[in-house]
Amino acid sequence: MISALARFVDALRAEGVVVSPAETLDAGRALDLVGLEEKRAVHAALKATLVKDRRAAEVFDRLFQRFFAPPVFPRREQRPGAGEGEPSNRRNQGGGIPPPDADRKPKAPDNATEGQSPRRRAEPGKGVKPPAPAPDKRRRDRALRNDRRQSEIPSRAQASRPKPGSARAEDPTHRILAARMSTDEERRIAHEVPRLIEALRLGLGRRLVRASSGRPWVRRALRESVATGGVPFTIPMRAPKPRRTRVVVLADVSFSTARAAGLFLWMAASFLKLGRNTRTLLFVDRPVDATEAIRRWAARAGAALPASQTAPSRRPRPGESIAPHGVSFADMIDTLPDLNPHAPSDYGTAFHALLTSPKRPRGRNTVLVILGDARTNRFDPLPWTLEELSRGCRAVIWLASEPRPKWGSEDSVLPLYLPWIDLVVEATDLAGLAHGLTELIRRL
Amino acid sequence: MGLRVAGYTPPMASEAVTASSISRTFAESGFICSPEVAVSLFLTERLGKPLLLEGPPGVGKTEIAKLWAKYHGAQLVRLQCYEGLDEAKALYEWSYGKQMLYAQLLRDKMGEALARAADLASAIALLRDEADAFFSRDFLLARPLLQAILSERPVVLLIDEVDRSDEEFEAFLLEVLSDNQVSIPELGTLRALSPPRVVLTSNDTRELSDALRRRCLYLHVDYPSFADELRIIEARAPGLAAGLAERVVRFAQSLRRADLRKAPGIAEVVDWALALIAVGADGLPHDVLRQTLGALLKNREDVERVLSDPAHFRA
Repeated sequence: MISALARFVDALRAEGVVVSPAETLDAGRALDLVGLEEKRAVHAALKATLVKDRRAAEVFDRLFQRFFAPPVFPRREQRPGAGEGEPSNRRNQGGGIPPPDADRKPKAPDNATEGQSPRRRAEPGKGVKPPAPAPDKRRRDRALRNDRRQSEIPSRAQASRPKPGSARAEDPTHRILAARMSTDEERRIAHEVPRLIEALRLGLGRRLVRASSGRPWVRRALRESVATGGVPFTIPMRAPKPRRTRVVVLADVSFSTARAAGLFLWMAASFLKLGRNTRTLLFVDRPVDATEAIRRWAARAGAALPASQTAPSRRPRPGESIAPHGVSFADMIDTLPDLNPHAPSDYGTAFHALLTSPKRPRGRNTVLVILGDARTNRFDPLPWTLEELSRGCRAVIWLASEPRPKWGSEDSVLPLYLPWIDLVVEATDLAGLAHGLTELIRRL
Repeated sequence: MGLRVAGYTPPMASEAVTASSISRTFAESGFICSPEVAVSLFLTERLGKPLLLEGPPGVGKTEIAKLWAKYHGAQLVRLQCYEGLDEAKALYEWSYGKQMLYAQLLRDKMGEALARAADLASAIALLRDEADAFFSRDFLLARPLLQAILSERPVVLLIDEVDRSDEEFEAFLLEVLSDNQVSIPELGTLRALSPPRVVLTSNDTRELSDALRRRCLYLHVDYPSFADELRIIEARAPGLAAGLAERVVRFAQSLRRADLRKAPGIAEVVDWALALIAVGADGLPHDVLRQTLGALLKNREDVERVLSDPAHFRA
């Protein structure tokens, strides 16, 4: 923010407003005091310290609106072709403050090859093909294409929107989780979770397939040798045992995504070894390690759900009815110290905090799973932080809790993050979350 | 359990001051505090800088300072500026009458002391030592600035309508504002025991110097929006007939857009609303306007202009 402030002061000076270094220092201290959560407070703090008369106030107001404007993305059909504009660059053209490390642009793909992951592409000497234009756009498209269902239809949620009154519309697994709903509706959705877990367990149980090379499949060889009198003429092979994969789940538990986060973590707890090879971090504006809390909360998943304790007049909190063994997800969140579920979501700060913390996901067997809507409340999205996180992991999977048409609308900055995501899954409903979990387990 | 003294609010620690608590406390006093005001006051507290409030008359600048003093449970020391204000009126002066009285009463004592002098030089030396007693703090008349500097309890120093004062006085203020100290030749430099919280107001009738502005945080206080002014009227004049508050505010806002000699401030609108309650008005017919418009407009030409075509302003 300091560099952004310096650029803002430069812009004020360019407009003829005299700002001394002492006033710039005052502005920095003022920002430190009021915080960056509320745009109006930031505006008031900067104005009180940088402006000294009414003419300067008018210039300040005009420049502030331009500098701290939300990112503007053109509509999809208007998006320029390759090389014409990455989202982050377009944002800067509009006068907005670029991310603090704007000069840390994605590495130039001098040796990039089609289809390589961002990490492999950054490795020197791996590719020999000439550089392809618009690497970020290609990465973004690849992230979208990687989701099998995305490649078939533009927006799963949009295309498969059930007609009102149809059986599909009544199906709780297809209910949009971000929509406002009563605790009873939420409970109906939560009741589906144990069934989905069983279905996933069955589906994922038949994973062993024959491979052309790998390790011998002894059990199958014995079974097949029965036909030849016990002589194994061919030794079937199975794929080599994958290395133990570490998973880091980073879930946004703000008001709009808490329900999806609760349902996903409930399901994920049945398949991932929380605390052993899986770490769970919850965040709204900064990440908090909740691995142990989630493990305890979901330990008896599938038990009877409690009756509604919500007063009818009170607006239900998302996650109140997601209670595997009596404690609701919303209540569990409230017990976490250092997590403020009422704070505005700030993905950039959360990613930066994770990047600079000792709990940063790192390693070639680490998969980072992010669940959220990428709505940053106009805060700086800091896409380079996700780039850094992505470079340290084997894969980044994003479970988007909003349908694709909403990505990039208003304060959503998901398009800025897409270049650094290996797979993005449209997880707007319970079925979408289950699909995302399946994709994750396939990569373990 | 602490002893509670009626009418006394203990001073608030600087760390306990937050923008939200300022808004809340001001609201309890019936002042609708915008976030800009709250954040500016919060910053003036935490950065230790004076706050310069600039804006048209009647928008509540002085009221902000008063409530700021109330918020801290501090004494409000007010220096009303005007053309010709000098150090003697703002800072201190020697109590000439008291000095003369003491000199008369102590004449015999002085005579005895001087009688011991052997020659003129030693008499002058003796007199110099004795005369210094007449320029001690006992004979000092502290004016608002010095009162604020010397006060042992926290104070809020309101320098009101600083744009009315001369530029020389503005330059004199710089030392007080930046260093919280004043220099008195006979006594030396006096530094504030507890730095006062300083609020300056200006009606923007003349341009203040850059040096003064740069020592302050700046906040331009303008007329409130329709919604804010409606909240103010509803809070200050709760007995107004249903729907009349909106019409009152709309009328006042249209007056401000007109080129009147003196646009009505918030205080005048509140007064007018209270006047409407007093006469039992449930609308704004011509006769009610004629009876009560004096509370809103303070210029005869303005009153006549509005009464000649009130429908224009009601629209």
